[in-house]
Amino acid sequence: MRSTRALLYIVVTLLAALYLMPLAVVALNSLRSTRDIFGNGMIGLPHGLEFDNFSQAWSGLCIAEHCTGIRGYMLNSMIMTIPATLISTFFGALLGYAISLWRFRGDLWVFGIITLGVFLPEQMKLVPWVLVLRDLGLYNSVAGLVLIHVVQGLSFTTLFCRNYYVGIPQELMKAAKIDGAGFFRIFWRIVLPLSPPILIVTIIWQFTGIWNEYLYGVTFASGPNQPVTAALIALAVSVSEAPQYGVQSAAVLIAAAPTLFVYLVGGKYFMRGLTAGAVK
Amino acid sequence: MRLARRSPAELLPLLAIWLPVLVSIFYVVGFTLYTIWIAFTPSTLMPENGWVGLRNYTAILHTRNWNIAAANIVVYGFCFMALTTFLGLLLAVLLDQKLRGENVLRTIFLYPLAVSFVVTGVVWGWLLNPGIGIQKLVVGLGWTDFRFDWLVDRDRALYCIVFAGAWQASGFAMALFLAGLRSVDADLMKAAQIDGAGPMRIYRGVVLPTIWPIFIAVFVILLQFAIKTFDLAVALTAGGPGISTVLPSMVVYDFMFQRGLLGRGSAAAVLQLSMLLAVLLPYAAFRYWQTRRAARNA
Amino acid sequence: MPSISRRTLLAASGAAAISQTPLRAARAADKPRVTVITQWSAGSDGEAITALGKKFTEAGGIWQHNPVPGFTTDMMNKLRAQILSGDPPAVSQLKGPEIAAWSKIAPTVNLDADVKAAGYDKVVAPELIKLHAPYGHWISLPLQVYRINSIWISKKAADKVGVTALPKTWAEYNAIGEKMAKAGIQPVANGGTKWDNGMIWEIALCGISPAAYRKAVMELDAAALKGPEVLAAFEQTRKMSLWMSPNTASQHYSTFIPKFMKGDAGMLLMGGWVQGVYKKAGYQYSDYMTGPSPQDNGKPAFDLNADAFIFWKRKEPDFTAGQHLLAKLVMEKSTQQMYSGITGSLPVRTDMDLSDPTFSDAQREASASLKAAVEDHQSVLSLAHNMAQPNQITAAMIDSLVEFVTDHTITPKKGQERLVEAVDNVR
Repeated sequence: MRSTRALLYIVVTLLAALYLMPLAVVALNSLRSTRDIFGNGMIGLPHGLEFDNFSQAWSGLCIAEHCTGIRGYMLNSMIMTIPATLISTFFGALLGYAISLWRFRGDLWVFGIITLGVFLPEQMKLVPWVLVLRDLGLYNSVAGLVLIHVVQGLSFTTLFCRNYYVGIPQELMKAAKIDGAGFFRIFWRIVLPLSPPILIVTIIWQFTGIWNEYLYGVTFASGPNQPVTAALIALAVSVSEAPQYGVQSAAVLIAAAPTLFVYLVGGKYFMRGLTAGAVK
Repeated sequence: MRLARRSPAELLPLLAIWLPVLVSIFYVVGFTLYTIWIAFTPSTLMPENGWVGLRNYTAILHTRNWNIAAANIVVYGFCFMALTTFLGLLLAVLLDQKLRGENVLRTIFLYPLAVSFVVTGVVWGWLLNPGIGIQKLVVGLGWTDFRFDWLVDRDRALYCIVFAGAWQASGFAMALFLAGLRSVDADLMKAAQIDGAGPMRIYRGVVLPTIWPIFIAVFVILLQFAIKTFDLAVALTAGGPGISTVLPSMVVYDFMFQRGLLGRGSAAAVLQLSMLLAVLLPYAAFRYWQTRRAARNA
Repeated sequence: MPSISRRTLLAASGAAAISQTPLRAARAADKPRVTVITQWSAGSDGEAITALGKKFTEAGGIWQHNPVPGFTTDMMNKLRAQILSGDPPAVSQLKGPEIAAWSKIAPTVNLDADVKAAGYDKVVAPELIKLHAPYGHWISLPLQVYRINSIWISKKAADKVGVTALPKTWAEYNAIGEKMAKAGIQPVANGGTKWDNGMIWEIALCGISPAAYRKAVMELDAAALKGPEVLAAFEQTRKMSLWMSPNTASQHYSTFIPKFMKGDAGMLLMGGWVQGVYKKAGYQYSDYMTGPSPQDNGKPAFDLNADAFIFWKRKEPDFTAGQHLLAKLVMEKSTQQMYSGITGSLPVRTDMDLSDPTFSDAQREASASLKAAVEDHQSVLSLAHNMAQPNQITAAMIDSLVEFVTDHTITPKKGQERLVEAVDNVR
């Protein structure tokens, strides 16, 4: 039994090392100077630690004529991502519950159509979104981006929640309905307390997806209002010039921090036993 | 009308359900119909009205790019989904063993989603490049005939995108599976253990049936991942060597925006969606038949 | 033909109403103003446009630059979205034949009077005039020029094989390549991006015959495309593709700078911007040799790449004033000196004195070759950098060239056939 445990830890550690490989390259590069990288190759140990890369990335770098680093862009991303994540998760849970437990006429059709939404490719939706935002007067605004991400996210969040709630016994619903509990009362009192594991999954999905989205962020926001992905691209892509990999790597790490934070903090909601006190 | 006779307490849930539902349906159906329409128009740089029949379709079906992409997505989709599901389930089961440091491990397996996809594509491009990446490193360690040059091999570069894609998405599959595993009734598990069932039997007999709906969620998510793979592949291979690893999403983007042929790009998008329906419709039909049969037997 | 419908116009007025935020409305209406969209947001490109903005502000204007970071396609998406929502920028970056194509979807500003007043049409390469005044009127202005057909040789690699001068013809180039290959040096130091692959072929053809290049690539003349010069370019490209590192994958050429500087890779065919990149990576002018790439007919040729601004029509008088002010500034010698000094490009004007220390010898040589090439009718437009053909044709041609470079089983004859086929399909 002990040797199986040991083997288990060895396998997990090896896998973790494999998964960490690209991060290691980025982390090492974040401490290297441009000169070092172009003198010694893209992968390698730093010759001298260039901590300056981080302060550069955070507050010094010139992006779009403003030499204020990615600081402001991080804030833009927050302002867009947090509301969009929360709103889409809330409605996803509500719809998932309505479809799987409350049930209504045509619910399966509705579910089918909403689920199809996850498959629509970004490229195809760009022009229609331009037209919709234009007609709503939301072009070039954060509200417009939030709207896009809520509507698109609804397909995912509904799918996740519905498939999780299907596992909740119908008896619970019946008992609650007999007690005279209404739609919202059941949602708040019974369904939500059972939901933490799936809610953290949907939040992870929505938060990372919206945070890293690039095409819409660049097209529908302007200049200093753009999300951080735009700033990252600004550092990475240039035909005529060599990218500034050192500073860029530092910027990538900073930009990934909020998402990693969500993963770590969300972790505790994964614990088994939260689901039903009665089980223990 | 019937609605009018209902009390506000009854109307509110209806509103809460149908408002997001209608918005969603407008989005899914409306955007799809719009794209289908544009595919029939002569649109180039801007959407235009007009009718060219199937000309955009014949044009796109006659480009080498599309034909290569259509073949690639089948191979890529299958390999990516199989590998990612396997890895996701493996990681979830491993993490479910009450490991010490589970929180950190889970974050490690999830982080690929947190980092900008463009950047991870670039970094994988270095790691998998035989001249600067893993091969060079291992050769440098003295293993001089070690070869890992799939990225520059026309027939194998596609599998490099599979690796990178699985690396990126398997953490999320793991999280979904883990959420499912954590919802499995602990009493059932205990009962099975007392009955003397081995871990394999417990998983097959008790756990898998409970988390089956999660499998479907994972399947759908991975399918959309596969069909939408874009940033990562562009940064990793950019369709190369040559155009041997182009995917439909790249062709759509390329025609719509780079070449400024919205009509043809839309035709490619519609073809892309119909390939997807070719996978989904048989499945939906199967499910329909299953529910009908269950209802009959009940 | 374009769908600038009633609906679009309605939306345009709506959007204009929305964009009239109190802040803007409160501004003095008379001060000349421009809104600008470019992809230049970082590095020396960003620096240069910022300097231009400063100059514009000093001249009494209001400069509102909105850079769209990323690929050119992203910038064009933004431009498309702005035009669709009825709010085109006063000025945007756009280049090559796309200027003509885009000018059909939204009205542009006629700059004829400005150009005439500055006498600009006499000092600009004729190829550029055709691109920037596509239907007889100036609607856009070139900002800076790069020579694509430049060669860069690693000093260390050259020393190893005893090369002291740049190859003047492709035969000399090939001889050096053989020597390097024998000495264990990778003769070609290029990267593996699509435009890089396509550019190698383009430089080969331009070096074999600028006249054939003009016919085949710029005019898509069927006979020239099937002609012996194009075949020779394919043969030269095949030779070079075999001399490229098998591991280029889709890497940017800058990935291989360490290899190049160590002398493990010998020759790079690339535009003039390389100089700035080397400088940033910490290398000196003495670490490499540079000049025009091989030219078989002995006369200087110039494969042109030019960045440009297109001016979109706006009703607001402050925009109109801003557009004419910017046009005037862009054509001025001092602006061009400042701009090219920062980016390492060449001024558009062929009548500039480059003795100023802001310029390097490489820039002076390239600028002189532009003037000579224009006089000899040996200036052509770059294919890989979207100067010769609209994007849809360029993309189709580049695809077939990239396939040729990366798939060594395709014979030059077959490669030529595929190119002809690709052109026929999009013509």
